[in-house]
Amino acid sequence: MSQSLDAYLVLAGILFAVGSFGFLARRNAISMLMSIELMLNAVNLVIVAFGAFVPELNVDASVIALMVMAVAAAEATVGLAIVMAIYRNRRTPLVDEYDAMRQ
Amino acid sequence: MFESLVPSAAPLLAAAAAESSATSGVINLVPLLLVLPLAGFVFTALFGRRIGRFAFVVPLFLIVATWAIAMVVVYEALSGGFGEHGAGITLWTWIPAGAFQVEMGLYVDQLTACLLIVVTTIGMLVHLYSVGYMAHDPGRWRFFAYLNLFMFSMLLLVLGDSWLSVFAAWELVGLSSYLLIGFWYPKRSAALAAKKAFIVNRVGDVGFALGIMLIWVSTGTLDIRASFELIAGLDQATIAAIALLVFCGAVGKSAQFPLHVWLPDAMEGPTPVSALIHAATMVNAGVYLIARANPIFAEVPGVMVVVASVGIFTSILAASIAFTQTDIKRVLAYSTLSQLGLMFAALGVGAFTAAIFHLMAHGFFKGLLFLGSGSVIHAVHEEQDMNNMGGLHRKIPVTHWTMLIGTLAIAGIPPLAGFFSKDEILAESFKLGFYGVWAIGFVVAGMTAFYMWRLMGKTFYGQPSEYVRSIWDRIHESTPTMTAPLVLLAIPSALLGIFLGTPLGDSRIAHWLEPVFAASEETLYPDKAPYELFGVDGVLILTSVGIATVGLVVGIWLFGAFRRAGKPARVQAMTNANGATRFLYRASLNKWWFDDLNHLLFIVIGGRVAGAMWWFDRTVVDGTVNGVGRLTVDAGRGLRRVQTGRVQNYALGIAVGLIVMTGAYLLIAAR
Repeated sequence: MSQSLDAYLVLAGILFAVGSFGFLARRNAISMLMSIELMLNAVNLVIVAFGAFVPELNVDASVIALMVMAVAAAEATVGLAIVMAIYRNRRTPLVDEYDAMRQ
Repeated sequence: MFESLVPSAAPLLAAAAAESSATSGVINLVPLLLVLPLAGFVFTALFGRRIGRFAFVVPLFLIVATWAIAMVVVYEALSGGFGEHGAGITLWTWIPAGAFQVEMGLYVDQLTACLLIVVTTIGMLVHLYSVGYMAHDPGRWRFFAYLNLFMFSMLLLVLGDSWLSVFAAWELVGLSSYLLIGFWYPKRSAALAAKKAFIVNRVGDVGFALGIMLIWVSTGTLDIRASFELIAGLDQATIAAIALLVFCGAVGKSAQFPLHVWLPDAMEGPTPVSALIHAATMVNAGVYLIARANPIFAEVPGVMVVVASVGIFTSILAASIAFTQTDIKRVLAYSTLSQLGLMFAALGVGAFTAAIFHLMAHGFFKGLLFLGSGSVIHAVHEEQDMNNMGGLHRKIPVTHWTMLIGTLAIAGIPPLAGFFSKDEILAESFKLGFYGVWAIGFVVAGMTAFYMWRLMGKTFYGQPSEYVRSIWDRIHESTPTMTAPLVLLAIPSALLGIFLGTPLGDSRIAHWLEPVFAASEETLYPDKAPYELFGVDGVLILTSVGIATVGLVVGIWLFGAFRRAGKPARVQAMTNANGATRFLYRASLNKWWFDDLNHLLFIVIGGRVAGAMWWFDRTVVDGTVNGVGRLTVDAGRGLRRVQTGRVQNYALGIAVGLIVMTGAYLLIAAR
């Protein structure tokens, strides 16, 4: 375990940035969902890191992290269901081909 | 809310209602005078076309019935059956709106009676005449329907006892006039003339409406008699304003300068229309209005001077134009204008009785002259230019002799009607100190005699023109339905003067109308000199007869009489004598260029102004409205581009927004 909080925060920041970039730049809807998961993991890391280094947050951090994981799982399920429904309709997983609401 | 602004006239109306309940039962016949013509109009309008050739029966019968009832009412009114100041009958409350109460009521006094005589008699005779005159016209049912509508409107105008019903009738009369002038609407000139009449009338009506509004604002009542009592208590400026505005309406309806331009063009209508509306009844509405409103005018002598000036100016202007006109009906139209001007001059001078006397006499002999001219036009198969007539006096004797009586009456030759009435106007103006009015009226009397004899000479006397010779054998006297009214009108033209105007100085008509005008004459001329037959008045009689005779003699010398031919070459020489006469001739022929002036002012310049307004409306107003619309559309089009439909763009938006908000929060929190 590293002695400085900063290391964990930097790692989380990098993970979040990678996740954001993936979310913005990927065409495949499944890839976007994976990037979202990456961002959520980064956030979890930050919460747990603070929980380890700040004594008052020891208990709460674990609880929050568990809640975040639960929500992430639920949200990933719903998102996957939506993508699968659209795939059945549009026959393509590429988001820039979903243009029915465009002019 | 308005009760506090406007003085209440309720007590006066209650008092008036109380006094009217104690009069004879004949007053209950008066509403019939309105109902019968109106019923005739509705019936003929709905069923006339289907009835076809006999469409005239119902309207004619109803008008004869109206005349009979009117004569009963007139007798009652003039013999004092309605009391000294007349009687009224309230039919129903027209507008019950809190402080604004208007009743629909009718009122008959001696002045009303005089007008009723003229309106119903001439109306009836014109209806009878139209049976023959319009016999070949397929639109005849429309004609009789409009005639009945006109009779209804005119009777409502004369009988109405509130300013609002007079105004409504005023407008209705204008409408009937429009419908009848434009009766042959496929003819473009007729349609234009109808529009001109209506629009010029409207100009005057604006003034009248403003006057009525001013009466309401300053007195709180629209009942005519009640408003007179309240107006006396107002300040001079308000009374003068009311009087001037009411006079505006009279100027429009009675075709005084500068709103005289519609009357000559109104001759496009059928001749019975010209006789009824533009000689005997509608144009008298203005004279009636001012006579009825005499209490208002008597308070403001300054306005009366305006009335007299406008009247006498119109009189001489119209007489000068009548010198050169060649259409027989135009000459009579300008003659009407001139005589109306004399009536207004009489009103302005304060000789109300003389004005009404002349109104009655003029109604009869001008109606006679117009119907006679219609008979002439019929005889020469629709030719109206007098230069194409001539020598007709033996071919159409009844028409000729009745028109001769009418001409002598209008010229003012005793003992015919025109002499008494015209002489009274001139004498009153002289005795009351209006020497200018007398002088111009004197000249107009001579001019009238001259141009009327010119009409007679060119139409009936001398050698027939080529056109007349070509149709000589087809010229015949008109049917009895047309000649009977002529004879029936010739009788009052000859005798009405003697009946109403004698004994001189204390005439019957002065007795009749005394209660109506006595108060005003007291206000204006408290010490009037008595009548001196062998003094001033006698001299004035001799001068007016003298100038009329001079006019006739010159007319006979230049235009012939009976077999004696006219001297067209002499006439030509006189008009070409020098620059001045040539100019006068051209000015007269072009109606002193007033029509051209109006054309320049309203059509040309008015057209430019209207064009500029149109440009403004199109460019600025519409531009602004359209611009707002276009702005909205363009903004929308621009903003729509944010909606790309691509999820990644939306995600980018979320990310950027998040960064901006976090950054802003951190920056602000750092402060």
